[in-house]
Amino acid sequence: MSLKVTDVVVRRGVGPVISGVSLEVHPGSITTIVGPNGAGKTSLLESLSGIIPVASGSVELDGQEISKLSRRQRSLLGLKHVEQGRMIFPSLTVRENLKLTARAKADFDEAMSLFPELEKRVDSQTALLSGGEQQMVVLARTFAAKPRYIMIDEMSLGLAPVVFLRLIPVIQGIAESGVGVLLVEQFAHLALKAATDALVVTSGHVSYQGPARKLLGDEALLRDAYLG
Amino acid sequence: MSLASRPRPTTRPWLPLAFALGAIALGAIFGFGMPAYVVFVATSVLVAMVSLLGLGIVTGTAGMIALCQLSFASIGAWILEFLYLKTPLPTVFGAASFLVFMLIAGLITAVLGLVIGLPALRLRGVNLAVITLGVAAAVDTTVQQLGFPDQSFAHIPRPFGLTSDPTGDRGYFLFAVVVTVLIALAINALQGSRIGAAWKSVAFSERGTASAGTSVRTAKLSAFALSAFVGGIAGCLIVGQITQVNYLTFTPINSLGLYVLSIVVGSQLIDMALFGGILFVVIPEILKQFRVPLEWSSVAFGVLGIQALTSNSNLGTGVRAALFRRRRLREAARVEAAGDVAAVETVAEAPIPTGTGRPLLVVEHLTVEFGAVKALTDVSLVVEEGTILGLIGPNGAGKSTFVDAIGGFLPQHTGTASLDGEPLDGLAPHQRARAGLRRTFQQDRVPPSMTVGAYLRFVTRGKADPDAIADALHFFGCPDASIPLSVVDVGTRRLVEVAANLAARPKLLLLDEPAAGLSHDEHLAFANRLRRAPEHFGTTILIIEHDLDLVRSVCSRITVLNFGEVLATGDRTAVLSDPKVVSAYMGETEML
Amino acid sequence: MNIIIALAVGFSSGALYALIGVGLTLMSVLTRVINFSLVAVGVFGAYLSIRSAPLIQSAPLEVQTAVTVVIAVVVAAVVSGILGWIEATWLSEATTTARSAVTVASLLMLISLSFILFGSQPQPLRPLLVGPAFLVGEVAITKVGIAMLVAAIIVGVLTWIIVRHTPIGVRLRAVSDRQTAAELLGVNVKALQVSVWMVMGGVMGLCVSIIGNTAAADATSMITLVIPGTAAALVGAFKNIPLTIVGGLVVGALQGALTAFPSTTQLRDWIPILVIVLFLLWNQRKEVWDVAR
Repeated sequence: MSLKVTDVVVRRGVGPVISGVSLEVHPGSITTIVGPNGAGKTSLLESLSGIIPVASGSVELDGQEISKLSRRQRSLLGLKHVEQGRMIFPSLTVRENLKLTARAKADFDEAMSLFPELEKRVDSQTALLSGGEQQMVVLARTFAAKPRYIMIDEMSLGLAPVVFLRLIPVIQGIAESGVGVLLVEQFAHLALKAATDALVVTSGHVSYQGPARKLLGDEALLRDAYLG
Repeated sequence: MSLASRPRPTTRPWLPLAFALGAIALGAIFGFGMPAYVVFVATSVLVAMVSLLGLGIVTGTAGMIALCQLSFASIGAWILEFLYLKTPLPTVFGAASFLVFMLIAGLITAVLGLVIGLPALRLRGVNLAVITLGVAAAVDTTVQQLGFPDQSFAHIPRPFGLTSDPTGDRGYFLFAVVVTVLIALAINALQGSRIGAAWKSVAFSERGTASAGTSVRTAKLSAFALSAFVGGIAGCLIVGQITQVNYLTFTPINSLGLYVLSIVVGSQLIDMALFGGILFVVIPEILKQFRVPLEWSSVAFGVLGIQALTSNSNLGTGVRAALFRRRRLREAARVEAAGDVAAVETVAEAPIPTGTGRPLLVVEHLTVEFGAVKALTDVSLVVEEGTILGLIGPNGAGKSTFVDAIGGFLPQHTGTASLDGEPLDGLAPHQRARAGLRRTFQQDRVPPSMTVGAYLRFVTRGKADPDAIADALHFFGCPDASIPLSVVDVGTRRLVEVAANLAARPKLLLLDEPAAGLSHDEHLAFANRLRRAPEHFGTTILIIEHDLDLVRSVCSRITVLNFGEVLATGDRTAVLSDPKVVSAYMGETEML
Repeated sequence: MNIIIALAVGFSSGALYALIGVGLTLMSVLTRVINFSLVAVGVFGAYLSIRSAPLIQSAPLEVQTAVTVVIAVVVAAVVSGILGWIEATWLSEATTTARSAVTVASLLMLISLSFILFGSQPQPLRPLLVGPAFLVGEVAITKVGIAMLVAAIIVGVLTWIIVRHTPIGVRLRAVSDRQTAAELLGVNVKALQVSVWMVMGGVMGLCVSIIGNTAAADATSMITLVIPGTAAALVGAFKNIPLTIVGGLVVGALQGALTAFPSTTQLRDWIPILVIVLFLLWNQRKEVWDVAR
């Protein structure tokens, strides 16, 4: 039971944007992908969730090949993609954003309990919330969908580090509840502290893959991985 | 010497003229050799082709929906008849009356096109569909009630004394051939000119067009007005062919049919307009022979139209892609080879430019808000003339928002910006470009439907001569001017965008992540060239970049943005070693 | 002629334009398309339904009427649904222009098929409501006009309720906000959008059945009715339902006012264009740059 990616190549236009990616995310663990901007991390996540097609390679969700399925089908099988840029539905309230995925009241309450600070904003239009609150709504909404695997793309984008520090324990809690997490981040150090496994992606290929702890303890290794 | 600077043979300017003369010769043979009925039908084909040529500019090149092409024809026909029957002008112009009146009719119709297009074309393309459909229906009923000046009994004399019998039909066919060929030549010339580049650019990206100094509205209006002109001419040709018209010749349904056919064949291409004309006229003729209701041809066109739209292609591009596949592959290979040569080339290391010390861009208290999200708060900075300023910061810090605001795409911002002492506030993006402010985009906004050279001529607004263009391309190791942009990869297209904007010799150039998509070696080459750019082009540069090595090697001063605010600004080494800046990146290991 | 009389004279048409405008606005907001075929599917369904008359001759009049109306609604809904399915399958990421262009092609097809199947003579489509409801001065307000206005208001109100207060409405709004994000959450975007197309088509089928050949005598009405509808929708900026209804009534009133000057009847068809132009100029007075382009 895992999200297994084997030798995936993603193309945008003529040339490959990222190639030779193989990884495996197990339920209950956090795998992080770090690396410089433009390296292909977002394209990778988009190919896994079906926003763009996989040029070659296989993607298996709990043993089932999903690379030819539609976005909706992959989502219904339990793979959720939290896109870059806080994709709230601006004209919907916090409550309505959550109601999209939280069918029962119990699920709704459980999702809201992740971020008690959203309580007083529950009937506000999400367009009027701050960046951090919007990100909380997105995460709560995704959690309420009871996913098996969550892929999160640069949760910290445009947010103060202190907000990131608020969000990371929630991610860890979600992972502990049995969800497999794939976390793409620009704040490498913070992400590496929270993760079990790590990949460094530079210029369209994986330059390091292994335990996160090892990368965290070795600055030279990290720098070589970025520049290599 | 790189491939980019080797003088290339110009693409045979005599070729269109040769085609034109050949077509006229063929037309003469056809017109006097084929049976009378065939010649008559062929005249109708030419009329449809002319209508489609006009439509092709608006729908194919400029990417809009226009549903009243035959209304323009009916207006043109009406004016022609009016000039003939209700004015004393025929005695003034004699045998040349038809030609003169046709031109006048075309011009008046063009003016009407401007009037219709003006409210519809400010920004949203689909509004033109709404208004042209309304015009099609309204002109139809007006013409039904008003009637044409011929009142169904007068016959309009043909041009140059041609008779109205089958012999005259043949002569008229030749006349129609000449008119069609002249229009095709003119359109071909326009498509390859800066105006054509503006049309193609506006279909691809409105922001890109405005940043290149071309008004989006003017580009769209010129396309529509020209299509109206050509439509009016087509109407006159019909009058000459059948010498009497009524409203049934110009129904709105046929305007819809022409539009759909234009999409199916891709009638901005001359040969495809001919093919479309053949389909429009010949298919109903065939159906008539088999006593099948003529409306089935419209149904067929509708189905083909939906097919073309769902596959986002048309016959013209499909045929060309197949025919020129080998040529494209060869050109792509040439581009790659040139790229390798350019990268290996060693150029003497240039120093980081120091500038004159005079402030060129002065930004004060710039604030941008999207709802409750503050993208930029109280940002002030100064860019000195002749230098390169680096604008850096973590993802989401507001760097692109800054460039969008200075470029004029966020008119709701507060705060002021001035370039070379003149305030920028209140100027539209294309006006800022003409005032000397140019920018490149993070997303690909270089239209792939033209050659490198055509793009540069478009961006420099015709002010750079071929030598200056070749020089700018060579400076950045870009492909040759004759290469079509469609075979150039995204990273190289970015370089072409930079080269084009520098060739325009702006006072200030804002670069938004120009090196994304380039390899490490290409980064170094780019940095080296960029350092020489201010002196070579007389330009000041502000560059947004993530690659801090690149920033370190080209910029004398750096401003750091964090969460929409200026975190630090000043000399390069001081800023990059500021602990606040290091901790802001927090984990961004490029800092180490 | 004063304003009230003009409004009364143009009321039947105006109410019809209002309903069409509401339909166009809803489709624009919910499915990102200017549906030029909206009226056409309704007319086509209605014309097809009267072909069933010979088959049910023997039934009582009420049953005949009911069957014809049902057939009109179903045919219109199915044809509209097919169009919506094409859009949702192949053009779900396309621009509004491309999506709208498809409805131009389908409009062409529906008009042509209509001429092939039903000929060019006026169709024997009996209006379901005949005669005046009440008088304003000497002008009769027709029952059909009242029905159209009531329908426009009901459609507007029902949609508002559904969109604001039901789970489906939340999903519809989410899809029109950010389609990809909705898909990634498992929302069935295609089914939702095809449903909107089908419902709107069915409403048009019902509407044309009611008005009969008072306004929809032949296939060209597919064009001549959608144009004032777009004018009404533009008054509401393709967003605001109450303004759209007002806009439709105003277009009808302006056309009604023209009847006081018999020599100007040929200007009747230019009224919608005048309104279109005015509101295009008004709606786009502030430059807004589309982020995507």
